[in-house]
Amino acid sequence: MDIASLQTLAANNDWLAIMPELLLGCIALALLALEIILPAKLHSRLPAVALLGVLALLVFQLLGFTAGFVESESFNGLLVHSREGQVMRVFFLLAALLVGVIGTISLAKQKLPHTEFYHILLVVTAAMMLLVQSNHFVMLFVALETVTIGLYILVSYFRSSPLTLEAGLKHLIMGALSSSILLFGIVLLYGVAGNPELTGHTASAMNLDSLHAFLAANRHNFLASVGIVLVLSGVAFKIAAFPFQIWVPDVYQGAPTPVTAFLAVASKGAGFLVLLVLARTFSPYAWLLAPVLTLMAAATLLFGSLGALTQHNVKRLMGLSGVSHAGFLLMGVVAAGTQSMAIGAIYFYLFAYLLASFAVFGVMALVAGPDDADQEISHYAGLAKDRPFLALVLAIGLGSLAGIPPLAGFMGKLFIFIAAFKAGLYGLLTVAIIGVVISIYYYFSWIRAAVFSSSTLPDGDATARPALTPVSFTVGLVLGLLAFGTVLLGLYQGVLGQWLNTR
Amino acid sequence: MIHAGLNTYVLLSALLFAIGFFGVLLRKNTLVIFMGLELMLVASTLALVAFSRFNGTLDGNVFVFFILTIAAAEVAVGLAIIVALFRSRRTVQVDELNALKH
Repeated sequence: MDIASLQTLAANNDWLAIMPELLLGCIALALLALEIILPAKLHSRLPAVALLGVLALLVFQLLGFTAGFVESESFNGLLVHSREGQVMRVFFLLAALLVGVIGTISLAKQKLPHTEFYHILLVVTAAMMLLVQSNHFVMLFVALETVTIGLYILVSYFRSSPLTLEAGLKHLIMGALSSSILLFGIVLLYGVAGNPELTGHTASAMNLDSLHAFLAANRHNFLASVGIVLVLSGVAFKIAAFPFQIWVPDVYQGAPTPVTAFLAVASKGAGFLVLLVLARTFSPYAWLLAPVLTLMAAATLLFGSLGALTQHNVKRLMGLSGVSHAGFLLMGVVAAGTQSMAIGAIYFYLFAYLLASFAVFGVMALVAGPDDADQEISHYAGLAKDRPFLALVLAIGLGSLAGIPPLAGFMGKLFIFIAAFKAGLYGLLTVAIIGVVISIYYYFSWIRAAVFSSSTLPDGDATARPALTPVSFTVGLVLGLLAFGTVLLGLYQGVLGQWLNTR
Repeated sequence: MIHAGLNTYVLLSALLFAIGFFGVLLRKNTLVIFMGLELMLVASTLALVAFSRFNGTLDGNVFVFFILTIAAAEVAVGLAIIVALFRSRRTVQVDELNALKH
């Protein structure tokens, strides 16, 4: 390779195209530097610096800061900047902002350093933004591992609590196992696609476009199908799909509430985007993909709904109900194989899920006491009497998650169901409707505790709830906006729909 | 001199991967589980190098460096969590780490 070709390669590195990610990384590093430079009494201001930085990036992104790079490749095909990527950048920035706000509530109850939490949060967010735009297995794996390793640290962040550390260890073992399985799948695909003895072999077997062309030329290669199944299994761990969801309840319960929210929303959203990209790449193997994903969706829906029925810890409940939400989204991914409208439905569902989940997690962080893992449904008894605002936000969030019209969650489910109906997935639709019915039951037992039951409990002070955290102006505003957005999106989808189409 | 073909390497790497995988599932000591995880990564590395040599492309060899870095980061975080857990619970046996149940 001569100098001239290296120069062409370097000229292809369009740094401006990944400006949002670079700036996020710079803010993250600046936080650490500021913590060293500034006197200790100013350290409590650093979370606000991080949040304002994310907010500024979000505004720039919404104003079309990087719109000029859409439909182009950069870094020699490592990254592809698509409209989906632009939408998901906004999604992750929004999620990081909300996790940061919830983090200010939860971290205030612990004697732990704050700055590192925001540092890792921003790094993980930047990696997620790169992950959904990657078009090359090396980029995909490195970004995915940056996300995963950052999440190992965040999950075990409340290190004074043995429960949190146990959750961290379980997440670590399961996460590393899934990454290894994913990696082995990538290696097999690389080996097969580059094999000079096969027709249509490619020199850049890690590139998703070249891999797609190779798979289209060899539709029944055994080793390639093993690789595809391994890669899908690795991704299924990340989105918590059956049978790789065993880690969910324990990790969700032990992780700090803001991190649980981050896992439930941003990590799942990233996983689904990767799954969509991979499903597109593996589309010549639809004979294998469609049945595997259909079975996975049905089992995920049933397991999540039935598992959530018996839970009385709200974090475990959110975890297992999140598994059933993954089932609905998986149904969308299956439908996306034949119906392109399913992709829009998945994005709409993700945004509706983001608004509703963060409303619920925000209230959970306010109701939780110093022991973050101990959050029972019975703690919510009489919430409507003491804090009508929180009870209202909680009811709207849970109603949207359950899919009650006219809230956003209902429309999200409706779009997915329409897409699945058009794709002719009648069996899966039946399972999904059973899942919806069960989910209404368990979400309403929570709403009932918060809204309809009085604060005097039959079994006395054994389940007395910890003192409620006072709601600051910012937190109240954010929760109000989330609830308002959930109602607005349910009544009127035009704005988001138009934005999803034009971005 | 015995000449080992591509199949030998892939078979060996699949074997290493299986040993690591079942080590993670069946062993009770967290540190041994961790070794299993590392073995799975190393198995992928071996297959990558073999494929890279056989296919005549360099991507695989370069990818190995990324995997090594990632494995190092994973070990650093993982051992930190294990040490912190041992300090508070005085055990690293997975069957004794079952406080998170309902």
